[in-house]
Amino acid sequence: MTAVDEAWSVTRLARTIKHRVEDDFPIVWVKGELVGVKRYPSGHWYFGLRDAEAKVDCTMWKFAAARLQGPLEEGTEVFVLGTVNVWEERTALRFNVTQVLPASGVGAQAQAVEQIKQRLLADGLLDPARKRPLPPYATRIAVVTSIAGAAVRDIITVAARRWPSVELLVVNSAVQGDGAPAELVEALGIVSRLERLDCCIVGRGGGSKEDLAAFNDEAVCRAIAACPVPVISAVGHEVDVTLADLVADLRAATPSQAAEFALPDRHDVAARVAALRSAFLSAARDQVTTRQQRLQRTRERMGSALLERLRGVERRLLTARGRLAPALARHARRPGVRLAQLEGRLPPAMQRRLERARATIGRCSAQLDALSPLAVLGRGYAVPRDENGKVLRRTADFPPGTAFTLSISDGRVAARVED
Amino acid sequence: MADTPASLDQDLRRLEEIVRTLEDDDLALESALQLFEEGVGRLKAAQARLGEAETRVMQVLKDAETGELRTEPLDG
Repeated sequence: MTAVDEAWSVTRLARTIKHRVEDDFPIVWVKGELVGVKRYPSGHWYFGLRDAEAKVDCTMWKFAAARLQGPLEEGTEVFVLGTVNVWEERTALRFNVTQVLPASGVGAQAQAVEQIKQRLLADGLLDPARKRPLPPYATRIAVVTSIAGAAVRDIITVAARRWPSVELLVVNSAVQGDGAPAELVEALGIVSRLERLDCCIVGRGGGSKEDLAAFNDEAVCRAIAACPVPVISAVGHEVDVTLADLVADLRAATPSQAAEFALPDRHDVAARVAALRSAFLSAARDQVTTRQQRLQRTRERMGSALLERLRGVERRLLTARGRLAPALARHARRPGVRLAQLEGRLPPAMQRRLERARATIGRCSAQLDALSPLAVLGRGYAVPRDENGKVLRRTADFPPGTAFTLSISDGRVAARVED
Repeated sequence: MADTPASLDQDLRRLEEIVRTLEDDDLALESALQLFEEGVGRLKAAQARLGEAETRVMQVLKDAETGELRTEPLDG
């Protein structure tokens, strides 16, 4: 409380009220019913805005009223944009309106979008099964956007970082304003004529809600659906999903994200190529090693198998000779036995036996690969098997730490691959 | 379109296929050699693509009269 000798002037009171009310008061949209609408010859409008419980007096100055699409009508529901003013002379509060939208019009706009959506839906254009996958390694990408906007710069930056070998084909188009839908349709038509394209990004940087209208346009949506390559929408609005987003094969929140979707990261690809390279070289090396080992094994088997067979023949010959001598002696002691005849038949018999033996050796050589594995083990080879008894043949069968058993000539040994 | 070089995707997929085939012990020597040659070629192609460093940014323009398309570098 102030002392009486420090009394405020009326002007001071009025100004204080004005500042208290006006300072930091936001510009807001207010929804209400128009009452007491008056248009003055000066071009200014005066009216009240009310709902069930309150009423605020409003003014709309001539310059703002010039943008009205039609006269204000008593009793209509409207959205008004404005802020609060205090008229000092009378310390009267007025809501100063700069824009008026009929509430039914706002509803109508949403309704129109909904109707387009239903038509697109009926034509199957919103069917998830229509969504095409993006090629994994794009080489040519079309970008439909305004070359004056930030979207194209953002996409170029991401492309240069992630996948510099890509070629970007920019088709300029307005992305907001009355002409935007037609320009977008035209630009998408140009995109359809480009060859060897991998995909197309359609978008713009962030903006207010009204700016999205072009991306709710039916012709634009149908042009996106008709695009011969997958389309990524990048309308740059996190909250509002446009019809273009729904029709596009993929929706990105921002142009930068669209470029990230469209392009692989070169570091990932380099890692994949390096892995393939080492797998390829090791598989090729294994092909050579396997053949060398097989050759070596065959040579060893052949040598020892031949030796084995020859020894067998030798033993049989020796046995035959051992049995022959006593038989000859018996025959010689028996009178009437035609020893000469016997002697005459002997050489051909021996001959046939030798020939049979040779044929056997020949067959054996042909069957060398089928020889008993035990014989192979006996020469110092080992067979590695996993716990199920499966023979391990390749390096891929031996990841570090693998336990396995080695079968050798006189038993088994447990083994493990070193890390 | 038969003359266009294989895409990186095609090269990498084919390389994976070649590795799988080469891992088969029963492969004929002739085929193994052919696959090795092809694999080396595709590896080189893939590495060359990774090495390309310059992003080309072109603007596509449509001739108002003829409707023909042309491209020109977009100044960055």
